[in-house]
Amino acid sequence: MNSLLRIRTLAANTFREAIRNKLLYTLLGFGIVMIAAGVLLASLSYVEVDEILQDMGMAAIRFFSAGIAIFVGIGLIHNEVDRRTIFTILSKPVSRTEFLIGKWAGLTFTVWLQLVLMALAFAAVSGLAGAPLGAGHAVAIALIGFELMLLVAIATFFSAFTTPMLAALFSVGIWMIGHLSRDLRALGEQSELESVSRATNLVFQWMPDFEVFNKTLEAVHGLAIPSSEVWMAIVYAVGYTVCTLLIGSMIFGRRDFK
Amino acid sequence: MSTKWIRAIVLIVAIGCTGWAHSKLPLARPGDLDVEFVPSPRVASAASFGFKAILADFHWLKAVQAVGGDETVDAELARTLGKLIDVVTTLNPHVGHPYRFAAVWLTHDEELVREAIRLLERAVEYHPDDWRNYFYLGFDHFFYLAEYAEAAEALEIAMDLPGSPAYLPRLVARLKSEHADIDVAEVFLRELLRRTEDEEARARLQIALDEIEIEYKARLLDRARELYRERTGHDIRSVDDLVRPPDRVLARLPSPEPDGIPPSLSRGSVWQIDPDDGRIESSYLGSRYEVHYSDGDRKRLKVGREVGRTGESNQEAESVDG
Repeated sequence: MNSLLRIRTLAANTFREAIRNKLLYTLLGFGIVMIAAGVLLASLSYVEVDEILQDMGMAAIRFFSAGIAIFVGIGLIHNEVDRRTIFTILSKPVSRTEFLIGKWAGLTFTVWLQLVLMALAFAAVSGLAGAPLGAGHAVAIALIGFELMLLVAIATFFSAFTTPMLAALFSVGIWMIGHLSRDLRALGEQSELESVSRATNLVFQWMPDFEVFNKTLEAVHGLAIPSSEVWMAIVYAVGYTVCTLLIGSMIFGRRDFK
Repeated sequence: MSTKWIRAIVLIVAIGCTGWAHSKLPLARPGDLDVEFVPSPRVASAASFGFKAILADFHWLKAVQAVGGDETVDAELARTLGKLIDVVTTLNPHVGHPYRFAAVWLTHDEELVREAIRLLERAVEYHPDDWRNYFYLGFDHFFYLAEYAEAAEALEIAMDLPGSPAYLPRLVARLKSEHADIDVAEVFLRELLRRTEDEEARARLQIALDEIEIEYKARLLDRARELYRERTGHDIRSVDDLVRPPDRVLARLPSPEPDGIPPSLSRGSVWQIDPDDGRIESSYLGSRYEVHYSDGDRKRLKVGREVGRTGESNQEAESVDG
């Protein structure tokens, strides 16, 4: 049994476990309700109605998908340790790295599946409301998928060595900083203190920049999304995910479960 | 009494108390975040955590609700609207209507109009093909600030964009005649006529050129009138006085109609003195060639210019003092 097969088996089990999680359905349900609620919000305006409807839909998709990725992801390893099932798994010829990657892959597949469901709800609401849909929407949603892939890696990373509570705090914090780092850098550049500018630049360079995956404005306003930006965002997501999982597996490899 | 009944009674009493207490609580408290609270665009951008579009929509809806309510849009509310639209267009500069919404509502004083212009300049940066933003920009310059050069510049761009109204070239020509001279307006119109192939558009431009031709003649009569005053010490009673002996200053009056029109289209026009402003005009046009304002708007602009001059002189005084 080769490594990929073992990872696939672990991923399939993680997927089965994740889809039994009630939190997943709660957040998915809320997400779909919020997408539909865009119709009400848009009705408050006399212009830009389609844009408001779709802004709301895209925001709901991004917010609730991130919630699922973080709050389902943080318990992944802790649950295995808590139930002592990790000893059974690791007593088999499965490395800790394979275990971690299997967990990440299973949850990533789960959040991608819920992303597809939310995207279908978004398309249905937009279609019923007569709001235009184009390739830009598909690209923007695909990039959310890559953002979620990275976010699951971060949640898995923290789940590998901390409690679910701390993992949740850290993951949410990283996600928020990841959306803030560009503004922080811009603010830092205007500071008279060089140390502030250097610190904010460091945050921008080392923390994940989740804004590279945010193409909501372009999609909703029908603006062109340069293919180079899309490909670079995908490369960035894959690269950052690999780094996060590698460091996570190194920490996880040294963890004592006793 | 059974426990079941006690529970039911407690539940009903609790529901009643909760509803009663809620109904007694005020809906709005002093210090609540109301429409007056508008974050700075930078803070709003940083606090959006990647949800700029939806935050922009939220502020836009606040602006719409503010003008749609019972409150009159006074200068204070207009200032708040300006801040709201600044936040909206900073978070999402690709929006379209909010820029023009600002142009419609930020009109109470020069500071507000300048803010609307700043927002419209952002609009043309993000929507360079939309004539409406240039139009509002030009309108704000010309109508509220009497800045004809800036107005003509903005409207000249608007008139070349698809969907722009057909009357824009004539308006631009009038604006040019206000800030430069009528010669500039004529050259502008002749150039437009040269590169326009559409017959309807050419006819409209020809009308504008006819207006300019009559204005040239009216200005000739103005100069003759001035000469008449110098010679006789009094003003003319009718335009014919200019050619009536013994004090005549012109050999004959120019035609009050465009020279190029065929006799069949002649309207039998005459030169006359406008009873309101005392200026010479042709009955063919019924007014002089200029940008028209209502009396109220003329007074408003005059006051604005005087305030502006006072402000400038105050600034000069301050700089001299400094």
